[in-house]
Amino acid sequence: MSGTTPQGSAGTRRPDGATLVVALILAAIAVVIWRDAARLPQAGGYAGVGPADVPRWIAGGLGGLSLWSVIEAFRSGKTDREAQNVGPILWIVGGLAAQLALLTTAGFSIATGLLFAATAAAFGKRNLALTVPVGIAFALVVYLLFAGLLKLSLPAGPLEDLVWGLFRGHNGGTPA
Amino acid sequence: MKHTLFAGLIAAALAVPAYATDYTIIAPAAPGGGWDQTARTMQEALQGEGISDSVQVQNVPGAGGTVGLAQFVSSAQGKPDQLIVGGYVMVGAILTNASPVSLADVTPIARLTGEYEAIVVPAASEIQDINGLIEKLKADPGAVSWAGGSAGGADHIAVGLIAKAAGVDPTKINYIAYSGGGEALAAILGSQVTAGISSLGEFKAQADAGTLRILAVSSDERIEGVDAPTLKEAGLDVALQNWRMVAAAPGITDDQKAAISADIEKMVQSKTWQDALATKGWANTYLAGADFQAQLDKDIAATGAILKDIGLVK
Amino acid sequence: MTTFDFLLQGLSVALDPMILLYALIGVTLGTAVGVLPGIGPALTVALLLPVTYGLDPAGSLIMFAGIYYGGMYGGSTTSILLNTPGESASIVTALEGNKMARAGRGGPALATAAIGSFIAGLAATVLLAFVAPTVVKLALVFGPRDYFALMVLAFVTVSSAFGESARKGLISLFIGLALALVGIDQLTGQARLSFGVPQLLDGIEVTTLAVAMFAVGEALFVAGQRGTVDDEVIAVKGSVWMTAKDWARSWKPWLRGTVIGFPIGAMPAGGADIATFLSYAAEKKMSKHPEEFGNGAIEGVAGPEAANNASAAGTLVPLLTLGLPTTATAAIMLAGFQQFGLQPGPLLFATNPQLVWGLIASLLIANFMLLVLNLPLIGLWVKLLTIPRPWLYAGILVFATLGTIGANPSPVELSMLLIFGVMGYAMRLYGYPIAPVVVGLILGPMAEQQLRRALSISQGDLTTLVGSPVSATLLALSALALIVPLILRARGKGKVLSQLASDED
Repeated sequence: MSGTTPQGSAGTRRPDGATLVVALILAAIAVVIWRDAARLPQAGGYAGVGPADVPRWIAGGLGGLSLWSVIEAFRSGKTDREAQNVGPILWIVGGLAAQLALLTTAGFSIATGLLFAATAAAFGKRNLALTVPVGIAFALVVYLLFAGLLKLSLPAGPLEDLVWGLFRGHNGGTPA
Repeated sequence: MKHTLFAGLIAAALAVPAYATDYTIIAPAAPGGGWDQTARTMQEALQGEGISDSVQVQNVPGAGGTVGLAQFVSSAQGKPDQLIVGGYVMVGAILTNASPVSLADVTPIARLTGEYEAIVVPAASEIQDINGLIEKLKADPGAVSWAGGSAGGADHIAVGLIAKAAGVDPTKINYIAYSGGGEALAAILGSQVTAGISSLGEFKAQADAGTLRILAVSSDERIEGVDAPTLKEAGLDVALQNWRMVAAAPGITDDQKAAISADIEKMVQSKTWQDALATKGWANTYLAGADFQAQLDKDIAATGAILKDIGLVK
Repeated sequence: MTTFDFLLQGLSVALDPMILLYALIGVTLGTAVGVLPGIGPALTVALLLPVTYGLDPAGSLIMFAGIYYGGMYGGSTTSILLNTPGESASIVTALEGNKMARAGRGGPALATAAIGSFIAGLAATVLLAFVAPTVVKLALVFGPRDYFALMVLAFVTVSSAFGESARKGLISLFIGLALALVGIDQLTGQARLSFGVPQLLDGIEVTTLAVAMFAVGEALFVAGQRGTVDDEVIAVKGSVWMTAKDWARSWKPWLRGTVIGFPIGAMPAGGADIATFLSYAAEKKMSKHPEEFGNGAIEGVAGPEAANNASAAGTLVPLLTLGLPTTATAAIMLAGFQQFGLQPGPLLFATNPQLVWGLIASLLIANFMLLVLNLPLIGLWVKLLTIPRPWLYAGILVFATLGTIGANPSPVELSMLLIFGVMGYAMRLYGYPIAPVVVGLILGPMAEQQLRRALSISQGDLTTLVGSPVSATLLALSALALIVPLILRARGKGKVLSQLASDED
């Protein structure tokens, strides 16, 4: 559900910044769609409605909603919202970014383990010396279950190779 | 209790065949699709018959297989343990998506299976045979709506080829694309469109039940168990097979290519493979070596020409 | 054959030991994710999609449906004992249920929720079995124009009919529609909004968007809230059994909840949460003890819990008969069908009766399993609630990304997960509903294609769009659904509508 506490303050007539930003984003998307549609051929065929037409309608709709938002922002005035903690958000976004960056090189377990630790940190468990190893171990178990048992193709890295090698008693070949 | 469960699961996970990769097969599609199933069936057959100790399947989905193909060309260069599954759809997708890589950038090994196209009308349709449909098409191409798979796919190409063979301008066809033959089926049965075209397998059950009439098939010769002429019999010089193939990496030596070809031939002749074909209802259209290369070149040239005619490729 | 024969045939499929096992796994997983906050049935099915492709199609789909049903059961436990809804369809349950638990009547609250869910689930599944064949007959004559009209109705109801603001609903919908444009246009093969990135040619995966918005967005939102104290789990004190008076006060709400929930679930963009709000409002109005509402009225638990289960069964009507998903979970189940090369729709009943009726019959059995899981074994689920937040959300994000990586291990896909996750967070923060984005992404391309197909068949004649009785009726309904809320809002009755707003999964 919504986490906002809208309080239309009658006295101040400052526009609501968030709504203005939304209007701006919508306008930007509309422009991108419109420009993309412009390079498409008019291949409506028998329908008369081609690949570029529906994008134009949607761009038009977004433009209209953008205008509506501008009006709304000035009409309703500034809205107070509950302040958010930026720290935890950055931890999680950072964790996802780290996973994305490391996935192909470090393999599933290490990359996902870092995500695990970062998320735990966002929720208050900041002891990385504990959470990183726990996360990597947890991700490795998940990897073995899903890649081994269920044959899901998950990116393997040095850690996965090592574990497969250890269990087999010889060092498995490097996967591509 | 929880720990023993996990330990057990890990032990079970490790009991799967060895990890040392003899072959990695790229399935350029999401898990579950035709190419993925082909790759997984190859995996079973190659391992089950002891042709290879270990086979890994890797899914790289996207854009009619061209995303997987591009990745394969760049990462597998010169590696004799890398294979990719592909098919006729890829030929068209490479052209319509203006893919930077093509099938000329890999080393085709063999065609494995294939399906033929069938042209159908609902049982209640006034059109009785393929000639009746062609008459209508010649009279007013726009009035004949064809439901089939996605734009630029085998179904669409087949309609273009039929129109061209009948002397009708292929840009004038009224082709209505669905995501696949199954989705098109509802529109065909509901008489929303004039005719339908897709893989025979998509229509077979309904045709047997008498709700659809098969007007023609796209094979060279009549198909057993199907009461319909070929397009060639009807005087249209069109034959089209929606095939699946396996290719090896670019830049491998002739010896390496010969070794892979031998493995694949052994696999195709194995019982595991033949049984799998039977259960999945796939036709064995195995073709290898120079014959396959010649057929492939022919298909690529014909597809390029017809996609230009339809107007999908400039 | 009559519906009854088909059901018997379905039961013979459903009683196969392997199928029973799939159903059991499904309802157990479903209950678990229903209990855990921040992870719902939509997400769970999305996660399981890549791992089930190799399994039995019937078994997998039965498992998915079991997850859906189980989620509806499990959510109530969290609402009652923790005052934090396990999933959105249990928000109302928290109102009365948690009060009951605090007053030491947690046992009867859990019992009326479980038994109500059971009765509603059973009744609604039987309704599904009898309604579906009729809808199938109707749907067989559906052409592209009729489907287009149906989509228009769905767009209107999801975005503007409910919710605190039509503007916000429409913005969410249009964002979904804009995302839906990305990729190859199926009718002409033209690439749109792909910017030369080959991974974008196939469009944006519904599962990626849903996982990002529901799991990542939710995790960010919960993490970002200031001063969140870990809610205390209230121990179940006293008898878990309902007294005679509890029974007397519960049975009518159960039946009313079923009657409200089923049709709402079957409606485009209805969804379980709307059904629960309506049921709650109805019970409050009809109760002989209106003063108890807000202080732990058992009717306020019995009705909504019955309604959310009935609506889950209702959702399966359009999904199975028309191939039309009306909730995020249904949308992902649709992806599940397609993964096995099955196209839900009227033909599925003709080509795959074994599967369809096996699925329906399995759901009847699943209800019995769920009753056992949620009454005698309730203690197990309560333990799940004691997992500390850091570990819980860390685990959820591991599985969420696993689902995406397993389906397509490309950096582009993971980047989208991150971007849409942040977007989902921002939308939650500023009160923009999530469901219309998902619905827009799924139904947008369908609507466009059906429109262009309809026009192709008529060779450009626009009047074809109202040319069939079905399409004309549906478009007229859409116009009504657009205009009536505008009038209501203008007359200052917008409050009623905003009560119906919530994100769903």
